[in-house]
Amino acid sequence: MPFENFDLTRDYLTHPREKTPVSTIPAVKGVDETQATQHARLPAGVIHEWLTTVDHKKIGIMYIVYALIFLVIGGIEATLMRIQLAVPNNHFVSPQVYNRLFTMHGTTMIFFVAMPIMFGFGNYMVPIMIGARDMAFPRLNAFSFWVSAFAGVLLYFSYLGGSGLYAAGSAPDVGWFAYAPLTAKVFSPGHSTDYWTLSILLSGVGSIGTALNIVTTTLCMRCPGMKLSRMPLLVWIYLVMGGLVFVTISPLTAAQIMLTLDRYLGAHFFDTQAGGSAVLWMHFFWIFGHPEVYVLILPAFAFMNEIVPVFSRKAIFGYPAMVAASVCIGFISLSVWAHHMFTVGLGAAGNTFFVFATMVISVPTGIKIFNWLATIWGGRVVFATPMLFAAGFLFQFLIAGLTGIILAVAPFDWQLHNTYFVVAHFHYVIVGGILFALFASFYYWYPKMTGRMMSEKLGKWHFVLFIIGFHLTFDFMHIPGLLGMPRQIYTYEADRGWGTWNLIASIGVIFQIAGVLCFVYNLVSSYYRGKVAGPDPWDAWTLEWSTSSPPPEYNFAVLPTVRSRRPLWDLKHPEDPDSDYEI
Amino acid sequence: MRDRELTTGQEARSRSSTDAAEGVVLPVPTVWPLVLALGVSLMIAGMVTHWVISALGAILAVRSAVGWFFEVLPHEHHVTVPTAVEVIPVVSTRETRAHLPVDERHRKLLPIETFSIGAGVKGGIVGGIAMIVPAAVFSLVRFHSLWYATNLLAAGGFVSWAGQSNEFLSQFHALGLLAAFGIHTLTSLLVGLLYGAMLPMFPRWPILTAGFIAPFLWTGLLHSALAVISPILNERIDWPWFVISQIAFGLVCGFVVNLQVKVRTAQFQALPFSVRAGLHGDLQETEDEGQ
Repeated sequence: MPFENFDLTRDYLTHPREKTPVSTIPAVKGVDETQATQHARLPAGVIHEWLTTVDHKKIGIMYIVYALIFLVIGGIEATLMRIQLAVPNNHFVSPQVYNRLFTMHGTTMIFFVAMPIMFGFGNYMVPIMIGARDMAFPRLNAFSFWVSAFAGVLLYFSYLGGSGLYAAGSAPDVGWFAYAPLTAKVFSPGHSTDYWTLSILLSGVGSIGTALNIVTTTLCMRCPGMKLSRMPLLVWIYLVMGGLVFVTISPLTAAQIMLTLDRYLGAHFFDTQAGGSAVLWMHFFWIFGHPEVYVLILPAFAFMNEIVPVFSRKAIFGYPAMVAASVCIGFISLSVWAHHMFTVGLGAAGNTFFVFATMVISVPTGIKIFNWLATIWGGRVVFATPMLFAAGFLFQFLIAGLTGIILAVAPFDWQLHNTYFVVAHFHYVIVGGILFALFASFYYWYPKMTGRMMSEKLGKWHFVLFIIGFHLTFDFMHIPGLLGMPRQIYTYEADRGWGTWNLIASIGVIFQIAGVLCFVYNLVSSYYRGKVAGPDPWDAWTLEWSTSSPPPEYNFAVLPTVRSRRPLWDLKHPEDPDSDYEI
Repeated sequence: MRDRELTTGQEARSRSSTDAAEGVVLPVPTVWPLVLALGVSLMIAGMVTHWVISALGAILAVRSAVGWFFEVLPHEHHVTVPTAVEVIPVVSTRETRAHLPVDERHRKLLPIETFSIGAGVKGGIVGGIAMIVPAAVFSLVRFHSLWYATNLLAAGGFVSWAGQSNEFLSQFHALGLLAAFGIHTLTSLLVGLLYGAMLPMFPRWPILTAGFIAPFLWTGLLHSALAVISPILNERIDWPWFVISQIAFGLVCGFVVNLQVKVRTAQFQALPFSVRAGLHGDLQETEDEGQ
């Protein structure tokens, strides 16, 4: 067993020559009411406390738990699809069920897993990293979470209530991007599409509320000394992400309202036979859809910005360039949406613009990758579980970016559009990039959220199994795409030459499931039996590690004052503070 | 809320938020955000289920809004959470930072003076005018018309013009003149700015660098790129004449930029006062003497 003797403690991070704690600086520890006292309370009291809470940390945790539940549901849907596609001419599920599966899988993973989990971490981390006691609008924060949560429930209620007229439908089956005119009443009778539309409309309300909170909190509630130029990169990126959510959710919401009007009141926005435009829907959807990828990947970058330096034992390389690159990505991401639409006939000028805009965004993204590598370079890298997942992210996101540049070339895209190559590229970004970064952040911040360390041994197993599964599934998924296998296809003939690749991709899912089971078991068992973490188990430098684990309701008994980008370093090393070096 | 004191907004505001000994003031937990979210969700869910669901949602939404308002108006309700202050050790596994090893001969050469943006703009404008002369001579000699080179440049904007006949390109087209003027002005200004930024980095042989090396480099780059982007346009360009016009631009632009007065950079402020005051030579010389 490769990690049999691996046991992560504080000493593991200690360099042999540096075992002795060197400073004992007085700090303030708050009363921990979140864990110890809960064990003594009645379950009803605990439930009431969580239902009525306006504490950003509890709301953040609820976002994360809610997203994890939907991650399992979306994962089950993906597994069923991979079983269906494992061999040619398979009839494991019916075509109708298959259509619902890929629609619900895509919608769930984007709107009810990725978005909420990012908001969850943002909720938890942003206030505490800027030395604030809560979000700017705590009640709005709670409202945003509950609206998002009910939106997910509404979507899945479609399995029960989606039949509608003619008993057609059940769950939505129009794909996660729901192209017109398939969504028109004549092609999608019943209420299944309405459930899709209305649940996304509802979740958009929650997203806007949380983004408003993150942006306002960041701009207005920083502790003394926390200038913008000293803000942790995570907070910077969440600020950009919040701005992006404002801009991108609005057209999506507008499109959902227009579609609802089409379906309920006989409007013709997307009805091509009555003078509407199906391409209009595509524009509206992708004006949201592509920046959405950056709404999700930017927080993944944010996690890397915190994890990579701590486990490389170096300050982040090129802080100003990282901030500039994040802001650039935010702006440029708003001008690339039509690369999803090269095949609709945009014309040479439109195609050329979106080709170049898409390629240009690789420049700030490349800056980030080089800066992470430069941070690792020359550092004393500790490959604890968070850093392992971070390393996986770096490699896989690079590959995802490269296939993205390939797809940005319009003539190449004409050949590969709507094939499994696109599906593989997209999942390389979402799973290989975002999910790996999320796993890294779970292992990194779980001790802060619960006061317990996650098992390093199980974490390593999780990493090994998941990375094997990921590469089996998504590396080999590119090949049937290159061979012409369309996406959203129910089954295929044996003579197409896609069978072997699909079988390998499906086998990979088994490894991924095993990895996720390790993760879930680790999450639960560590909560009860994990080692006590202490306030700062990773010897890190940002403010969340200066308070107890888990932090008290008020985060800091005394609001901190910071003088550099690494306030905890300054506290630990008053003889050599960062403020002597930063401009 | 056990062990907590419920207060109103006025009381809360009168307290110092950092007064750990008296407790910390936080917003009071409330059920109304949850109820409002449920109400709004049911109102929407009623659209796909039954109007009664919407009605129930509306009732919940109104009730929760009223409840919410009374929690924040006229004064926001708070709770005071008691704190316990305790000293905990802040320790590090490292003694101090380790700096990257730097070679003794390492030097950081940063310019203390550079050209202003205005210098680049002026160079670009004058160079752009100078470039017109060889281009016009080429047009007159080869096609007996002043407008051929102009229209060929305009083909950068009007893609179909690259395939037009020589007669068409030799005629005057107002649109072509406008497009060519725009392209020429923009590129001349950009290259002028580039010269302003880069010339201080190449202090030796400015005439050779600005007048010959740089024009040859970007002509080669353009030649290679145009072969891919627009092969027809690439074939129609007379490259030897193109090089001559670029050299004319480079020489004049470089000359004009070099004539401009340089401005001091932030590095100048780091120099010793004696150097800034002109009593001593620059830092570079001082360090060399020291060694």
